[in-house]
Amino acid sequence: MAYTTFNRNINDQLKEPMFFGNAVNVSRYDQQKYPIFEKLIEKQLSFFWRPEEIDVSKDRIDFQQLPEHEKHIFISNLKYQTLLDSVQGRSPNVALLPIVSIPELETWIETWAFSETIHSRSYTHIIRNISAEPHKIFDDIMLNERILERAVDVTRYYDDLIDGINLYQRCGEGTHQINGKSEQITLRELKKRLYLCLMSVNVLEAIRFYVSFACSFAFAERELMEGNAKIIRLIARDEALHLTGTQHMLNILASGDDDPEMAEIAKECEEESYAIFMRAAEQEKDWAAYLFKDGSMIGLNKDILCQYVEFITNSRMQAVGLKPRFATTQNPIPWINTWLVSDNVQVAPQESEISSYLVGQIDNEVDTADFGDFDL
Amino acid sequence: MPQVRINGEVVVNFDGSSPNLLQFLEQQQQAVNYQCREGFCGACRCKLLNGQVSYLQEPLAFVRRGEFLPCCSIPKTDIELEIPK
Ligand code: FES
Ligand SMILES: [Fe+2]
Ligand SMILES: [Fe+2]
Repeated sequence: MAYTTFNRNINDQLKEPMFFGNAVNVSRYDQQKYPIFEKLIEKQLSFFWRPEEIDVSKDRIDFQQLPEHEKHIFISNLKYQTLLDSVQGRSPNVALLPIVSIPELETWIETWAFSETIHSRSYTHIIRNISAEPHKIFDDIMLNERILERAVDVTRYYDDLIDGINLYQRCGEGTHQINGKSEQITLRELKKRLYLCLMSVNVLEAIRFYVSFACSFAFAERELMEGNAKIIRLIARDEALHLTGTQHMLNILASGDDDPEMAEIAKECEEESYAIFMRAAEQEKDWAAYLFKDGSMIGLNKDILCQYVEFITNSRMQAVGLKPRFATTQNPIPWINTWLVSDNVQVAPQESEISSYLVGQIDNEVDTADFGDFDL
Repeated sequence: MPQVRINGEVVVNFDGSSPNLLQFLEQQQQAVNYQCREGFCGACRCKLLNGQVSYLQEPLAFVRRGEFLPCCSIPKTDIELEIPK
């Protein structure tokens, strides 16, 4: 029951459930219960990118010329994304590694969380470039009411799960006196917390990021903040893979094939799952209202963005076996999809592409010198 | 040449001029949701009511029984599909 980093039980890993079986001992992939997770790992590795490879130098000039209300939109989104990736860079590891029981899923979780750390580092890359005082932007994340409000719901299900695991792995099922407080935990309750946590993670990655993505691409449609948009495309591509991973976990759990009790739990959690989706959609609409409080941007306003939230929420709900709850059936900003296509995303792992990045940088320098006196 | 019935109405021949069913549907002016166009995001999920498709690459996105991903498949037989609304 207590976690061990190298479980000495000789077990058949193919018979372990995804979670709450024996802790993983040998990390081996010669046999796999769910090969999909290894395929996700391979795909994620093929996506590898580094923020420093993306030239954001032109964004600095663009940013300086944005009207104040658009600066607010841009910076606020970056702050929110920074919060989300701070959470995602650690929480899958902290919450899920102590309870995972099959090696390919364990390694997927680690690969997934690692890619989130790239996202986090990319925000520093972007913010350093547009601001001489990046610390002010980062410091505000811990003070900004709108962001903190969101942090509560983003982290709640992770924290409940982690708290339950700690108690369970230390003391086992039952009622325990911890620091003078009586605390109760059962394995069934833990499974429930896991299921809801995965739902909430799916909402985080499949819905919460998208308001911000839409704004980034709306700037880029006007040929503004294009370095940022390039990074956001890489992040969006990673997130599409992450949400697929979580949808697989949720659907395998709900099927009961992996652990029959999980199918019951999925049923039991249905109402709360709906609530998690609906609450997030409402919060993202509030966020859109906050972003546009001093004015909209070309191609996007609060109403369009709210419709987009509804559209994407519907589609994400269907992916995990829930019924769509919003009337919106059409994507109000279909142009966003062309930014989300993966094949023409430029990554620069090979030499040729690194040189194209350098060429891009030179071009940017020429641009700014040549047009120094003009409005770009 | 396999026939494709779309939303119980239009029937069109899949004549091979589109590399996959997503492009084919777009050419028929059907609005299908998409993102990655590579089989890993699941955004293009449609219902396969009849017939079979073959995948050009193995889809990574979760596909329920009775669903398929048009972005990475072509019809193997005559098919009948439904685009979710
Ligand atoms: S568009 Fe991503 S799976 Fe088809
Ligand atoms: Fe991320
Ligand atoms: Fe993610």
